[in-house]
Amino acid sequence: MKYILILVIGLFSGTIQAQDSGNDLLNRVVDKTNLVNDYSASVIITPDVPMIKSMPVKAKIYYKKKDKFKVVSKSIAILPKQGFTDVNVFLSDPKKYMVVEAGEKLIGTVQTKLLTVIANESSSEIILAKLWVDPDKAVVLASEVTTRSAGTVKIEYIYSNQIRFGLPSQIKFIVNVKEFKMPKSFSSNPHKSSTAKKNKRKVGTIVLDITNYIVNKGVSDSIFQN
Amino acid sequence: MLLKNTYNELIKILAKPRSYIGFIALTVLIGVILLAMKADGESFISFVTSSFEQTLSFNGLILNGNLIAFIILQMLIIHVPLLVALVTGDLVSGEAAMGTLRMMGTKPISRNSFLLSKFFAGAIYTFFLTVWLAFLSLIIGQYMFGTGDLIVLNSDGLVIIPENDIMWRYGLAFCLAYLSLLSIATMSICFSVFSDNSIGPIVSTMAVIILFTIIGSLDVPTFDHVQPFLITTHMASWRSLFEMPVPYDAIIDSILILVFHIVGFTALALWWFNKKDINT
Repeated sequence: MKYILILVIGLFSGTIQAQDSGNDLLNRVVDKTNLVNDYSASVIITPDVPMIKSMPVKAKIYYKKKDKFKVVSKSIAILPKQGFTDVNVFLSDPKKYMVVEAGEKLIGTVQTKLLTVIANESSSEIILAKLWVDPDKAVVLASEVTTRSAGTVKIEYIYSNQIRFGLPSQIKFIVNVKEFKMPKSFSSNPHKSSTAKKNKRKVGTIVLDITNYIVNKGVSDSIFQN
Repeated sequence: MLLKNTYNELIKILAKPRSYIGFIALTVLIGVILLAMKADGESFISFVTSSFEQTLSFNGLILNGNLIAFIILQMLIIHVPLLVALVTGDLVSGEAAMGTLRMMGTKPISRNSFLLSKFFAGAIYTFFLTVWLAFLSLIIGQYMFGTGDLIVLNSDGLVIIPENDIMWRYGLAFCLAYLSLLSIATMSICFSVFSDNSIGPIVSTMAVIILFTIIGSLDVPTFDHVQPFLITTHMASWRSLFEMPVPYDAIIDSILILVFHIVGFTALALWWFNKKDINT
């Protein structure tokens, strides 16, 4: 009985310890992103999504705390529904989630720590977020966000000169796309037969190369209005 | 003589009220589509992107003049031939019905030149109808909705064509649409040679278009060997110009089949008209 009690206490203390160190690391990440009140940047969006043929598109992105985000492009830009501001907004309120440090993983040359963030509220849009964090620089190198409406989105980040703000120079979204069936009458073309079903992939990527960050210099609210 | 008679034939076409029905019908139809798109175009667009919208968001001006022109061309390319046939189906048989064909036979112009001038006049009328279609759908569409990238639906999904890569495609697409309409015009003139009343060739042309369209849209293996040779199948070939990459070989095949029909109907009409005993 004594040994069982020691084991249970040991397990609990281990979990609490993992939770504390996870919280500390996540707080450092959040503190870094909190340094950013607003930013604008140029972006080249390169989609490689199944069933969508599109060329790379130039756009301008604008962000303003806490959740204002806008993509301005003359061209048609395809972006994931989730993954830009919603994770930051979610992480900015520690009451909404609990964090568990769940292991380590080597990403490139960096030994990252995996933080599993679980939503406390059943109504939360983000259900679960796995964050692979560089503990030295306190930035997220990869994430896997499961949302209620858009499924799971995997994101990979590369940082360069804006790493002090936790702003990446490249974001790679890995998205799942549902099968797309078009009525024949709507897509009638004598030269086109539909690709065989088995050849259709369902996972695509959208890569954003972000440059010319202008951070904390003020962004007008009018930009975010339609 | 051929050119002079072509000019005369154009005057005859212009003098008939039915020649303006096509232009008026196109104006009304496209006007209605443009107004409907202006009022409720966004919900129409959501139909296009809804399959992806759970995961992806589309940013930018999707509902623009280029998309409107594409939608209009897609909607009307099957119906415009009926407007063409309304005029061209009457070119020879109308004269037979009015009794002027026999008189024309007494003039110092060969039957070949006489019939070819009708083909040329029909081709010119079809050309202006196509130009009017292009003007209303593309130019007025761009004026009302602006320009931008074009989202095209095909059986494999979406193709997004950059704005600076669109106009040459439309130029060739309208040329291909004109060739399709020209093949219908030639067919109706050919039918017109075989008839002595106005209605027969027009209705016959419409019946053939409807029949071929139905055969072309049926996914029945029996028709698989027939579908590649139908005019109506290749009337949709302009869509291939909005693929990436453009399947030029397939488009050239379509052009050849349409030209084969045009030459075939013209030759058949000339052969029959030359041996025809004109009694009316």
